[in-house]
Amino acid sequence: MARKRKSPYKTRQALTPYLLLSPAFLVLLFVVALPLLFSLYTSFTGYRLVRPESLWSWVGTRNYERIFADVDFWIAFGRTILFLAIALNLEFIFGLGIALLINRITWGQRTLRTIMMFPMMFSPILVGYQFKFIFNDNIGVLNNALQSLGISDAATPWLVDRHLAMFSIIFAEVWMSTSVFAILLLAGLFAMPRDPIEAAKVDGCSPLQVFRHITLPFLMPFAFIAMTIRSLDVARAYDIVDVMTGGGPAGRTELLWTLIARVGYDNSRMGQANAMAYVSIVLSIAFTYYFFTKLVAARRYMGGAA
Amino acid sequence: MRSPKLKSLTCAALLPLLLSGTSALAGEFDGYTLRVKLIGGAQYEPLYAEIPKWEEMTGAKVEVLSRKNHFELDREIKQDIAAGTLDWCVGSNHTSFAPQYGNIYIDLNGVVADDVLAEFDTLAIKNSTVNERLVQLPRHSDVSNLFYKKSLYEDQANKDAFKAKYGYDLTPPETFDQFKDQAMFFANAPTFYGTQYVGKDEAITGRFYEMLVANGGALFDENWNPTFNSEAGVKTVMWFKELYDSKAVPAGVLNYLWDDTGLGFASGTVALNLDWAGWAAFFNDPANSKVAGDVGLVRAPKGTGGKRSGWAGSHTFSITETCDNKEAAASFITFLTDHDRQMIEARKGLLPTRTQVWKDVKAEFEAAGNAFQAEVVDTYSKSMAEDAFTPPLIEPWIEVSNEIWPQLQAAILGEKTPQEALDQAADAARLIMEDAGYIQ
Amino acid sequence: MDGPLKKRVASVATWIVTFLLMLVICLPGLWVMLTGFRPNREVLSKPAIWIPEQFNLNNFAKIFGFGAEQVAIPVPAYFTNSLVIALTSTVIALIIGMSGGYAFARFRFPFKNSIFLGLMLSRTVPGIALSLPVFMIWSRIGLIDTKLGMIIVYTALNIPFTIWLIDGFFRQVPKEMSEAAQVDGCTRWQAFWRVEFPLAKSGIASAGIFAFLTSWNEYALASQLTRSTDSKTLPVGLMDFTAQFTIDWAGMSAMAVIIIIPALILTFLVQKHLIAGLTFGGVKG
Repeated sequence: MARKRKSPYKTRQALTPYLLLSPAFLVLLFVVALPLLFSLYTSFTGYRLVRPESLWSWVGTRNYERIFADVDFWIAFGRTILFLAIALNLEFIFGLGIALLINRITWGQRTLRTIMMFPMMFSPILVGYQFKFIFNDNIGVLNNALQSLGISDAATPWLVDRHLAMFSIIFAEVWMSTSVFAILLLAGLFAMPRDPIEAAKVDGCSPLQVFRHITLPFLMPFAFIAMTIRSLDVARAYDIVDVMTGGGPAGRTELLWTLIARVGYDNSRMGQANAMAYVSIVLSIAFTYYFFTKLVAARRYMGGAA
Repeated sequence: MRSPKLKSLTCAALLPLLLSGTSALAGEFDGYTLRVKLIGGAQYEPLYAEIPKWEEMTGAKVEVLSRKNHFELDREIKQDIAAGTLDWCVGSNHTSFAPQYGNIYIDLNGVVADDVLAEFDTLAIKNSTVNERLVQLPRHSDVSNLFYKKSLYEDQANKDAFKAKYGYDLTPPETFDQFKDQAMFFANAPTFYGTQYVGKDEAITGRFYEMLVANGGALFDENWNPTFNSEAGVKTVMWFKELYDSKAVPAGVLNYLWDDTGLGFASGTVALNLDWAGWAAFFNDPANSKVAGDVGLVRAPKGTGGKRSGWAGSHTFSITETCDNKEAAASFITFLTDHDRQMIEARKGLLPTRTQVWKDVKAEFEAAGNAFQAEVVDTYSKSMAEDAFTPPLIEPWIEVSNEIWPQLQAAILGEKTPQEALDQAADAARLIMEDAGYIQ
Repeated sequence: MDGPLKKRVASVATWIVTFLLMLVICLPGLWVMLTGFRPNREVLSKPAIWIPEQFNLNNFAKIFGFGAEQVAIPVPAYFTNSLVIALTSTVIALIIGMSGGYAFARFRFPFKNSIFLGLMLSRTVPGIALSLPVFMIWSRIGLIDTKLGMIIVYTALNIPFTIWLIDGFFRQVPKEMSEAAQVDGCTRWQAFWRVEFPLAKSGIASAGIFAFLTSWNEYALASQLTRSTDSKTLPVGLMDFTAQFTIDWAGMSAMAVIIIIPALILTFLVQKHLIAGLTFGGVKG
């Protein structure tokens, strides 16, 4: 009988975490959950932006059927996955290199770290314009430099060529976001205990072996944190791509986000755009979930408290 | 029940009378705050510096709710329609965008006095009319004419070589075929290009459309069936494709928008540039342009149909249906487009919509010894008065355009034949027109 | 004497190489900042002008309206808006993040892991999918074109990451310490402020700088939800340099300098906390 009756203290204990979390819930409910419910509803309507009355025209799953049958949509979908996979991996590799390099330095490190974070100060929209002008084939800085240095005398169409256009938008994205990886991996290197490394050196391990078997496993949780964080807000790459190529030419750089924006705002077909947006949300959730489980596993491996 | 109706009838009848005076009565709208949304950007701002004068004249206050570029403002107005927040009176508008907005703006016929409207270029007024409603008052217009690098045409060696190769004299092009010949003749990639064109978005759709018309084709027949996949359509696409394949245009053109073409010509690496009046002053300004002093200008070329290209649009002002003081709004937009205000814009190189302003500003430029700007006004006002036409004033225009331009790009890049690309675009356009109820 | 000297030379060399490498990496950004001081004609030219012939403050003078016939761009208003919005939303996100992070670190409750993951996933929704619904709700309750409206949105954007980081950090502080304080007669509230908060400071600072940079640079949502000088932020103000047919790239770059410098200074100031905060906060949680 006594077990059933909770003490007042216990009840308060049970409620406290929810109380503490309530402001977060409240804000997210208001800014994310409610709007998402609304756009979920519109994805089942023929809602057109300039015709408010169309909000009530229920079309069932027609929007979804249309986009699932649309080849261009699936190409954009696949290209978005490719874009994310390449960009995130490159950011990890470059970030790791930078972090290892800076970690070796003691004097003036604060300055170097600030320089390293320099690209994080750039608004995505600015990054878009910046690389649009850098990659301009006629008067852009990059082609000018290649020509002045005598490396190439061609005017390479960076933003038009089938492969180079993808390369260019990935380059811009990697430039903007590598810093996030570098800073998190650097934090990981700082947290790293010295003893195992010293012990391994005494045992005659080569620096490469030390890196491969001690440093890297230790860093992996940090890498997954960075991956998770980045996959949370990759959609901001939309600003970059929209300014640089707008998804063109002939759809060569079309990502889900540019497609959604054009269908929703330019063509005013909000219902259809929101159906696409839902597919893209599922995609981001899948990416995030994947990295999150990797992170939990890596922590277990490290014997952390996760 | 009777009295409010009667009252509104009287109001409607009195409105034109109230506004027929050219200058607003002092203190007419004392204490009223007019809420407006204006297009922003360096070229458009000088006009807004005049707003305090109107406030002083009428006693009203102007509250600028937003000031954004063209495309952002379009998005914002669509959001307002969606959310039902049209709680403002005057908005900047554009002839290409206006048909999308349905009936949110009032018909200005009768609201702005007829004798005031008569002072505007008739074509500009006609292009501002959607379904016989004058939904906007034109502020200034945009149409393209052909800028060229003068020294190239004065060079004797060029003249001789050109004549030998093409069999006719080297003078600024009169037709699109000559335009293509000369562009190929001058091109020397990658250091110098014959011309360039905008390669994406509504920009290339518009260029395609105006050349299609100049070549004797049409986008739609009278029943709104897409007809641009015609022989004239293919010929028009080939013009773009041949220039691209022969490297007479920069390899990146398919990603170019107006800023790229303008800045490209200003960099001195392009011979011919079909572009808007707004760039003229920029091209001839030594601080911004390397071709300053070397810029020539001729009317846009003719197509094989004997017609000049004349894709035009006007920046305009509209009054919302929900406006609580339409008289004040009408007074405000009439003020912003009156003779003196348009002179201010004209001096900055924009092309206003009052025919008298064209004459006056040309005279003013001539008196100041600025022959180039005088020529600019002359050329552009002629093409506005004679050649200008708008895209089809239909609600799904932008949507149709979004089906056309990726196909144009695919054809230019050689991923499809021009005929295939246009056929596919026409099929997609037909679907849109059916969805929108234009095709039964 | 030979050994240490050699070591020193080697470390100086490493430093210089790294510094140069960093500069190369930053080159695209530096190019933008230099462009802010040069005229359009020189920046986008062919053949390229590598050594600036003109290097001056003309673009800035234009922005602030000192140039002839130029209309000023309301930078002071944008700057104030950005500062108010970014700082306030950062502070609120930190407070909410501390409260939420504490809940995850110190309590056990049903569905804890699912709730945590759910909070994180709220951040995956692309701005482009959120903008219209948020707009419609905001317009109903009068939050369009207000600083408050932007502050609420940015707070929501920053909460997931802030909770994550701070949660990890509180777990590092041994529970026994706060229990000891409670035994000594402190309430749990007092124990939090006297024991746990001071130890968590750098974690909070690093969460803060990430939150601030996100809010300071955000464009997609701000461009939809702001309209006039009442709330337009600096990144949205960048678009003032574009018109239908033209773009003033040099002017835009000058504006970029105005946006970047304050963020850079702030980052430099909190550098020390940043690394320390991430080190303890992130992984071991």
